[in-house]
Amino acid sequence: MSSADDTIAAPATSARRKASWWQPRAWLVELVPFIVGIAIWQALSSANIWPRVLFPSPLEVAQTFVADTLSGVLLVNLAVSLKSLMLGFVAGCIVAIPLGYLMGLHRISRNFFDPLVNLLQAIPGLAWIPFAILWFGLGQGAVVFIIVMSVFFPVLHNLLTGIRMVQPVLIEAVQTLGAGRVAVIRHVIFPATLPNLMTGIRLGIAFGFRSLVGGEMIASTDGLGYAIFNAQQYFQSARIVVGMLAIGIVWLIMDRMLLRPIEVRTTLRWGLIRDGLDKH
Amino acid sequence: MPDILTATGVSKTYFDMHEGHDVLALNGISLSLAAHEFVSVIGPSGCGKSTFLRIVAGLERPTAGEISVSGRKVIGPGADRGMVFQEYALLPWKTTEANIEFGLRLKRVPAEERRATTQRFVDLVGLNGFEKKYPHQLSGGMRQRVAVARVLANNPAMLLMDEPFAAVDAMTRQRLQEELASITAHERTTVLFVTHAIDEAVFLSDRVVALSGRPGRIVADIRIDLPRPRRWERVMNDGRFADYRDRLTQSIHGGHAHGGHA
Repeated sequence: MSSADDTIAAPATSARRKASWWQPRAWLVELVPFIVGIAIWQALSSANIWPRVLFPSPLEVAQTFVADTLSGVLLVNLAVSLKSLMLGFVAGCIVAIPLGYLMGLHRISRNFFDPLVNLLQAIPGLAWIPFAILWFGLGQGAVVFIIVMSVFFPVLHNLLTGIRMVQPVLIEAVQTLGAGRVAVIRHVIFPATLPNLMTGIRLGIAFGFRSLVGGEMIASTDGLGYAIFNAQQYFQSARIVVGMLAIGIVWLIMDRMLLRPIEVRTTLRWGLIRDGLDKH
Repeated sequence: MPDILTATGVSKTYFDMHEGHDVLALNGISLSLAAHEFVSVIGPSGCGKSTFLRIVAGLERPTAGEISVSGRKVIGPGADRGMVFQEYALLPWKTTEANIEFGLRLKRVPAEERRATTQRFVDLVGLNGFEKKYPHQLSGGMRQRVAVARVLANNPAMLLMDEPFAAVDAMTRQRLQEELASITAHERTTVLFVTHAIDEAVFLSDRVVALSGRPGRIVADIRIDLPRPRRWERVMNDGRFADYRDRLTQSIHGGHAHGGHA
């Protein structure tokens, strides 16, 4: 019995290509769009089309960034914002993920919660600001609450979609291998829903960021959102940009250090998702 | 020798959403499989052959009739009736090895025994060197080998196969058929195999059961007396192969069947 002439599909080589993703050259390639973006920005500001206060230059922004980093203001605001975001994200997931599996796997629960979830998910997280302030007062509590309300629905919704997309034949196959309900959930449902759960988490964090900034502008006296809002009052436009970029950079770091490694180890490795259509 | 499978008067009616009424898919199927027997069920599409297999697996319930495997009535799926599907149905998050030992893990077989059994079946289906690969890194033929090994390693009373080679290319299909014939003969596996390909059924089986077009009922049950081990170049040149094939073709499409397929 031989399998010698049975060809192996492309992924044997593409696995090697995936590994190279972490090597320095790949990082340099990734920097190119940022360098181009900054160059265009610099060119536009050198052209002096708009007043400085409306369109700060990259150099001014860099100077403000260094100054705010050295004075510690930036880090303090960053720490406050990250703490709110993480608290809100974790709390949102702690409720959304178990509820998602419960609704996905238990018909009575689904029938009960589905109308409520549908009604509430149309309400933007920011619409909860008035109640958040009434219930928690101005400050971090209110901001965290708004983030919870923003993270909850994308996570839940994507998880439910993931459960609906599980191939029945996988469940049937393991049932004929002796799997009962618990084994089916553990060995089929959980891993099969991971790609959608990751999408939900990504969206959840992105929605969380929006609410974080909006919430801090209205309901808080510190954090990046407050810093941006406050800088506008004093026409410190470079500081506004520093705040905006800080948010973007924090997102990139979270994506690369947290979400991306999880995907490389799971859904990408299992062939459930791919980096792009060009890779095969 | 005691029968492994006994089906008595198995019928299946289901509600067709599009047509808006009940459809009789299977009509009173009675069938027995002796231990170590390889039996194929053939029939035109829509004759309910896959439905019958799924009822044996316990994945669907019959509207009437009863199935017993090893003397126990079938009430749901179980490890005694392992199934191989056309679409492989391997767990994408498990390597070749982990897929094959899956059933043994569920049974809490001790690690050492589990590893030995897994390695034996990796060898048996010729997947040495691919133990650590994930399904998406394997070709269709190799995936189906893993699926067969996964069921056999679990030591079921019978192996159920639902058109397992329909999705692979013709060359690979012939080789997989030869491998399956030799593995099941070697392991003395009791097999219930569903296909629409008459050649495949004759090549593999000790017995071929033909169903009529919907509603499926048994129109022929023919013993295949071809020598084993079976190799395509030998079987094809055996005059009896053509005879069996012609008889089965006639019984499916010919006058025996009421409402037979065109």
